[in-house]
Amino acid sequence: MKNEYLPYPARIKSIQRESFDTRTFKVVFVDEKLAKSFNYKPGQFMEISLLGIGESPISITSSPSGKGYLEFTIRTMGKLTRAINQLNAGAILYLRGPYGNSFPLEEARTKNLYFIAGGIGLPPLRSVINSAFDHRVNFGKVKILYGAKSPDELCFKEELKVWQNLTNTELLLTVDVPDKDWKGNVGVVTTLWDKTDMDGNRGIAYVCGPPIMIKFVVQKLLKSQFKERNIYISLERYMKCGLGKCGHCNIGGKFVCTDGPVFTYQQIKQFPDKERAI
Amino acid sequence: MKDFLLKKDKIKNLLISASEEWDTFVPWKDLGEDLQFVKLPGAGKEDFLNKLSLEYGSPLIPPKTIAFPQLELLFEFEEGKIKEKVPPPTKKLLFGLRACDVKAILFVDDFFRRNFEDIYYLNRTMDKLLVLVGCKTPPRDCFCTSTKTGPFLPVPRSLGEVRKEGFDLQLVDIGDSYLVEIGSEKGKEFIESYKSFFEVASKKEVELSKDAKKRAEEAITLKVDFEKAVKNFCEDKVSRKVYEKIAERCIYCGGCLYVCPTCTCFNVFDGKKGKRGERSRNWDACVFEGYTREASGHNPRPEKWQRTSRRYEHKLKYDYLTTGMSGCVGCGRCLATCPVNIGISQVIEEVAKNEKRISSLSGKD
Repeated sequence: MKNEYLPYPARIKSIQRESFDTRTFKVVFVDEKLAKSFNYKPGQFMEISLLGIGESPISITSSPSGKGYLEFTIRTMGKLTRAINQLNAGAILYLRGPYGNSFPLEEARTKNLYFIAGGIGLPPLRSVINSAFDHRVNFGKVKILYGAKSPDELCFKEELKVWQNLTNTELLLTVDVPDKDWKGNVGVVTTLWDKTDMDGNRGIAYVCGPPIMIKFVVQKLLKSQFKERNIYISLERYMKCGLGKCGHCNIGGKFVCTDGPVFTYQQIKQFPDKERAI
Repeated sequence: MKDFLLKKDKIKNLLISASEEWDTFVPWKDLGEDLQFVKLPGAGKEDFLNKLSLEYGSPLIPPKTIAFPQLELLFEFEEGKIKEKVPPPTKKLLFGLRACDVKAILFVDDFFRRNFEDIYYLNRTMDKLLVLVGCKTPPRDCFCTSTKTGPFLPVPRSLGEVRKEGFDLQLVDIGDSYLVEIGSEKGKEFIESYKSFFEVASKKEVELSKDAKKRAEEAITLKVDFEKAVKNFCEDKVSRKVYEKIAERCIYCGGCLYVCPTCTCFNVFDGKKGKRGERSRNWDACVFEGYTREASGHNPRPEKWQRTSRRYEHKLKYDYLTTGMSGCVGCGRCLATCPVNIGISQVIEEVAKNEKRISSLSGKD
């Protein structure tokens, strides 16, 4: 029987600043065999810890095609994330996982893909976005709608430029509070609906962001003829163990950590109102 | 299947003998006269067993603590090196369990085995023998005849490798002796291994045990319409007002969940001193405000009534829908421990009565 609570050390190879409070860490398992054999799917998460400080669930932002390493984008939110964001390359993180289900791409073959993210919700989607780009011919149009509080808080600024220039791909950005250089849209992510054609008839939507954003995005998607079963949402919950044991992420009879974190809106609709939070 | 007889004056020696092979746990009266499940010590067993208590009540702290302690070390670390601290698998004899607790143990076993296997729990509990001693005088707060989890469990018609009804052996108090019913092959082997302590029961003794079971059943006066309540929960007929009414009284101390024999929620935390430290887990409770709060501050269950709803619906709805067995075994510990006198039995009663009526939950007099 495997001890699922035991984390494995991984070394930080490089760090990319995303914004004043957010950085992306590229890490490699210290154990070479593990680094080579490790597999995951887009949308899954790992329990990341610093010994003596604590452990938190963080989604994997790299895509599985990038072998041998993992990337995590971490915003300072509490004790552990603050400590991680003070680390330098070479430091050790402790990881266990991967946990949870994933964003399905098989079902999306030949369809148009719509990725809608708010704030720190883009990192989990980046994994599935890049997975889709790895097999670009399988899909129709790709649209990425991404909103952040300010231009500085947009993650993956260089990669956004790359996505923007890909064929048959549209990237729409928006911020709540612009700075003097910002020339793009201002407003919440749903205001981007006026800037592009959102057609749910041949579309699959992947959504991640704060609960309030998800709520309004789903309303918009349904109006744009997206089917409930074609809207995939990654939910955030306090997931202390990732194993369906500690109970913190329970919604109704489900565990977000093992039954999710990705659910279709059709599934989420079945969750009790009082626990859904979106 | 023939039944056996265990004379009460042989129990001490049986337990001393068995404790050579098994880690043996019994209900035991501590210095403050509180009942606890305690492991037989290495020395001084004879004196220790003077405080064995099989006759009355059940320990307030449920036997889940044997495999799922309130505070448990997961691993130690020093200068970045992790030292695994998995408890070694041991043979455990749990002697003197009530029927409700036997059902609860099986329920929790199944939970920790499902999906990911929890090595800490399973190592402590995989190889065990459950000896049920049915309640003779059930405590006033319990209602196991309503939840169909006691005071005795049915004896299986044939023995399998796995216990069918939950117990390996079931003991019925018939005066100077216990009638011993066999629930599994493992139970049968135990009797064979310690055959000098057991004798074959006569027809008369079997008859006596039937009377004793009947009397115990009749002694449980707290009755609730459990099936109706579970049905109402499952059909979403319980209004928010019911939970809000409970929320007015509940002080959210979590006591009912700590003493619940089927509650398994925990938190994981690190402690560190210098370069050394440890990661541990401890019991947690879904009624706490911080239980679902995320680092961002977002809390999917910010209101008290939402947490009350989770507390009862988990047991009486979701457990039932996922496993076919309710998470309530009718042991009454939640009521016995509650400082403001709320018990799940009262909630069941209210919900069974009329889902539309606003709960008064007036408490017991």
